[in-house]
Amino acid sequence: MSLAIPNGLDNSVERPGERAPLVLGDTTFHDITETVCQVAERKPNKAWVIGFLISFALLQWFGICILYLLYTGVGVWGNRSPVFWGWPIVNFVFWVGIGHAGTLISAILYLFRQDWRTGINRAAEAMTIFAVVCAGTFPGIHVGRAWLAFWLAPYPSLNLWMWPQFRSPLLWDVFAVSTYGTVSLLFWYMGMVPDLATFRDRSKNKWRRMAYGFLSLGWSGSSRHWMRYEKAYALLAAFAAPLVLSVHTIVSFDFAVSQVPGWHTTIFPPYFVAGAIFSGFAMVLTLMIPARTMLGLEKLITIRHLDNMCKIILATGSIVGLAYGTEFFIAWYGQVPEEKFAFLNRAFGPYWWAYWTMVSCNVISPQLFWFKKFRTTPWIIVIISIFVNIGMWFERFVIVISSLSRDYLPSAWAYFSPTWVDWSMLIGSFGLFFTLFLLFCRLMPVINMAEVKWTLAKQHHMSHENTSQADEH
Amino acid sequence: MSETTDKKVHGIAAEYTSVDTLMDACRRVRDAGYTKTDAFAPFAVHGIDKALGIKPTKLPWIVLACGLTGTLTGLCMQIWMNGIDYPYIISGKPYISLPAFIPVAFELTILFASFGAFFGMWALNGLPKFSNPVFTDPRFDRVTDDRFFVYVDASDARYDRAGVEKLFSETGSEYITTVMEDDSPKKVPKFIITSWMVMVALSIIPLLIVLKMRVTNSSSPRFHIFYDMDFSPSKDAQQNTTLFADARAMRPDVPGTVARGQMDLNYQTGIDIDALAKIDGPRAAMLVRALDDAEAKADSAAKSDGAPKAAASPAPGVMDTTPWLGENPSELTAALLEKGQQQFGIYCSVCHGMNGGGNGLVNRRAQKILAGTWVPPSSLHQDSLYAGKYPDGKLFNTISNGIRKMPGYASQIKVEDRWAIVAYVRALQKSQNASIDLVPASKKKAIEKQQAAVQQKLKEQAEAEKKAAEESAAKAAKAESDKPSA
Repeated sequence: MSLAIPNGLDNSVERPGERAPLVLGDTTFHDITETVCQVAERKPNKAWVIGFLISFALLQWFGICILYLLYTGVGVWGNRSPVFWGWPIVNFVFWVGIGHAGTLISAILYLFRQDWRTGINRAAEAMTIFAVVCAGTFPGIHVGRAWLAFWLAPYPSLNLWMWPQFRSPLLWDVFAVSTYGTVSLLFWYMGMVPDLATFRDRSKNKWRRMAYGFLSLGWSGSSRHWMRYEKAYALLAAFAAPLVLSVHTIVSFDFAVSQVPGWHTTIFPPYFVAGAIFSGFAMVLTLMIPARTMLGLEKLITIRHLDNMCKIILATGSIVGLAYGTEFFIAWYGQVPEEKFAFLNRAFGPYWWAYWTMVSCNVISPQLFWFKKFRTTPWIIVIISIFVNIGMWFERFVIVISSLSRDYLPSAWAYFSPTWVDWSMLIGSFGLFFTLFLLFCRLMPVINMAEVKWTLAKQHHMSHENTSQADEH
Repeated sequence: MSETTDKKVHGIAAEYTSVDTLMDACRRVRDAGYTKTDAFAPFAVHGIDKALGIKPTKLPWIVLACGLTGTLTGLCMQIWMNGIDYPYIISGKPYISLPAFIPVAFELTILFASFGAFFGMWALNGLPKFSNPVFTDPRFDRVTDDRFFVYVDASDARYDRAGVEKLFSETGSEYITTVMEDDSPKKVPKFIITSWMVMVALSIIPLLIVLKMRVTNSSSPRFHIFYDMDFSPSKDAQQNTTLFADARAMRPDVPGTVARGQMDLNYQTGIDIDALAKIDGPRAAMLVRALDDAEAKADSAAKSDGAPKAAASPAPGVMDTTPWLGENPSELTAALLEKGQQQFGIYCSVCHGMNGGGNGLVNRRAQKILAGTWVPPSSLHQDSLYAGKYPDGKLFNTISNGIRKMPGYASQIKVEDRWAIVAYVRALQKSQNASIDLVPASKKKAIEKQQAAVQQKLKEQAEAEKKAAEESAAKAAKAESDKPSA
């Protein structure tokens, strides 16, 4: 693969007094429509079919494992005393973390007026939803009797005659993750309606037209509608921004509110949120770079987009590295013997291999993004992003497993080892994720056409203004 | 196009190809005084609301109301559920502990407000609405691609077909169209309705089955989906298993543990339980039961003044028929005696004195302050406490459960230590009455010498006392005789 960026597609160079263009080439509004719609309109290519078949097979395997689990019981997992919160919770926190980038791009970058988000927000939001679906699966099947999972909801129960315990972070989690899933879904769908209307208006086939017509709710592009739509979008963004931060904060409470050494620390909320954004952006890049080449979207998802995302990975990766250091410092400074032991045990105990995998993937590998060459070379970004994903999975593994396997009472210590069902479920959840994502690529607008058109209009307007100003003075 | 003439005209629309021409056209339409107008664009064109004179939306107020409803719902729900209807006691915190209720209240605020923004927006926009007269023109399909339209409604007060068309042509529009009524069938196709209804009907069936099961009785046994969750597959005694190498389902005791009910009761009580069972069955049974309970709550303080005490210590005055253990069941070693000495020093000596004479610190203090309710501790050297009359088992029982003012020490001193104390008390008693013959010959001389010295000293003391007494008596007699007889 060549390292050089094709001519005319490098917008990562800073030019003083000028904003870098976010839509490249001599693109018109219609070109944007064509570029995005052809992804869904043409016949699927071989890569898509093969990818889909593999993902779908893994999804079936995931389903079989869940049925086996429900039929046999949670003993098929490696969860044993004292590690009752084993692999499924590791997977849950991993997936919830992945699910943070989408809404962050849509909401927080929207509030900060970062126009470069328009090229990537749709796919990132879709990724969020699918990651939350994967995440939601794990606590659902981890409750032991999954068919009674509705007991988590505050409903007047005739069997229990009691209510949920609202002082437990586990219950906060139920509310936080379900609210997050719901709001992300609304946000995603609402953003998609104008683009679904584009799909509707382009479809030749009656059934297609009917399906997209139903999904686009009769969107006509009226300015009154656009005005209310923009207002609703801004409001949703304003709600989603604190929501993104609250969800992983509350997930971290699951750990921080308990008294297990290695969990009982106040640094967890910011540290988890930074880690979530870190892993989310890594996953966005892992998916987006191959997709952008395969679907021919290089003009809309430009090198600058990748460059910006790498900078966010660098920033959050450094925060995560700092948090690892701070944890050690506080363990020493706090002088609680169990706490000190927990951290030494992480680095030099039986799970040393997991700890050092985590450190090298999460702390060292993103530091390469200080160099522009690494930030602007797509295949290098993919490799580093995959390392970050691996590292973030191991971070959750280290936190959950190493703390539980050796806490206060040495006679209760034990070494956790996953079973084949654990492995299958982790791999199977990727099957679920990729199946949904590949279907999304085929059926839905992968790029927010309306917003990219708006960005293009703004780009034209600004260049026009620059020239007219030059004329006037 | 002849049939279009008898259809209702909705308005006139003009097509534009750029944002700038669109904005220009909007301003002109607004300035011409039209109010029932609209513009259509593939994206949100900023500033078009001003150009067309569209008023700001009231959506934020709806969202605010929804958000506040969410906060209130969250707080009220949690306060009602955890504070009032089913108060949970969590670490002694107040039932209504607001800080703990913040996360859920926050999440519900966001959730409700988001619903408000989402559904409020669609409702204000009048969507979903699948039939729209502007859609009748195929060129209008490009509004979601790259074309812009401006529309003036026929119901506008100033509407005049020719005038609007003229205005539009002045703005440079290349395509001006009259929006006609949509003549496509408005009815939803029958097969969609049918399939929808079939699906609804089918989805109700499981629910109905569940509801029926909920309210009716059944004579057939319950169906167990997960049989082994309702009925444990545990093994019975004497069965074999593949779980353990020795194939025995019954597991031997873990080394170093005592099974419930298998404690050495004689050792625990100081009573020969078998003998007691023969003469007083109920009392023996009571003792056994009490000890079983005590096992369950091993260090419960209630134990020392609970059933065992009542059962084990005979009421004063009643002839004691309890078959006490006559001998200390512990093996008598120097280590045991040392342990006994240490424990006696800690627990017993404060009252009974280091030598067991009954004159410990507490007693001396009580005598000094003339404590009215004080019952002096027994001297352990009185005849009635010797092994012959007071068996070891009884002494053990007294230490365990107390006697008169003395409290029981079962909760403080371990069983083996109590037996060690018993052994030490016996040694103390022996020390006060030992014959000189027990002393080894090598030390006998020294002791005899010391004994003689002590006796000599005692004799001198006694003589001195006697002398003093005589003197004082003489003095008193003299004083008596000196008194004048009144």
